[in-house]
Amino acid sequence: MKNIKVLGTGCSKCNTTFQNVQEAIKRSGIEAEVTKIEDIEELMNYNVLVTPVLMIDDKQLVKGRIAEVNEIVELLKK
Amino acid sequence: MSNQNLVKEICPTTTQEWIKNGALLVDVRENDEVEVLAYDVPLILNIPLSEFENRFEEIPTEKDVVMVCRSGGRSLRAAGFLINHGYNSEKVVNMQHGINRWVEKGFPTKGDTSVVLGNTTSNSCCTPTSGGSTSCC
Repeated sequence: MKNIKVLGTGCSKCNTTFQNVQEAIKRSGIEAEVTKIEDIEELMNYNVLVTPVLMIDDKQLVKGRIAEVNEIVELLKK
Repeated sequence: MSNQNLVKEICPTTTQEWIKNGALLVDVRENDEVEVLAYDVPLILNIPLSEFENRFEEIPTEKDVVMVCRSGGRSLRAAGFLINHGYNSEKVVNMQHGINRWVEKGFPTKGDTSVVLGNTTSNSCCTPTSGGSTSCC
């Protein structure tokens, strides 16, 4: 199972990324656990500077922009 | 302002004291924001958050540093980043409420303050005072 985290401050870009992740999981059929992290202290523990951040299996793969659905699907295949 | 314990936070009035004692301000707003309105203090470094990961080592480790931005959110993350990278949490602090509150308090700036004054609201803490009080907030 993939472990996906969307880190952000609750901004619209972060919410869109979270929705795109859910859509990507639906399209790919890959089993994944998705967590949204908005707590500022937790964000700092991840050393997040720019948001949103998409993490898959503890790797920060997309930073500071919305990850598109197709892009996430490809990342989930790896 | 934020529920966290990693970074010490100070208000703009306390920041004035830090500046008097020689602190460096690090403004993490993007260049286009700084061009419109900038902090007017003796020691300031602008490292936009988008470049921060590659440039944070420009910030001296031995100096007192106040991190600043527009409203205090980005600078808080940057301050946390510095502390996580070995900077002293007693020397690196975040200024709450950013240039928005700085302008409301009438502290020195360069540029167009209308971009701030037209778009902010005060809360119960740190509301502007007419007497120039130096008590915190």
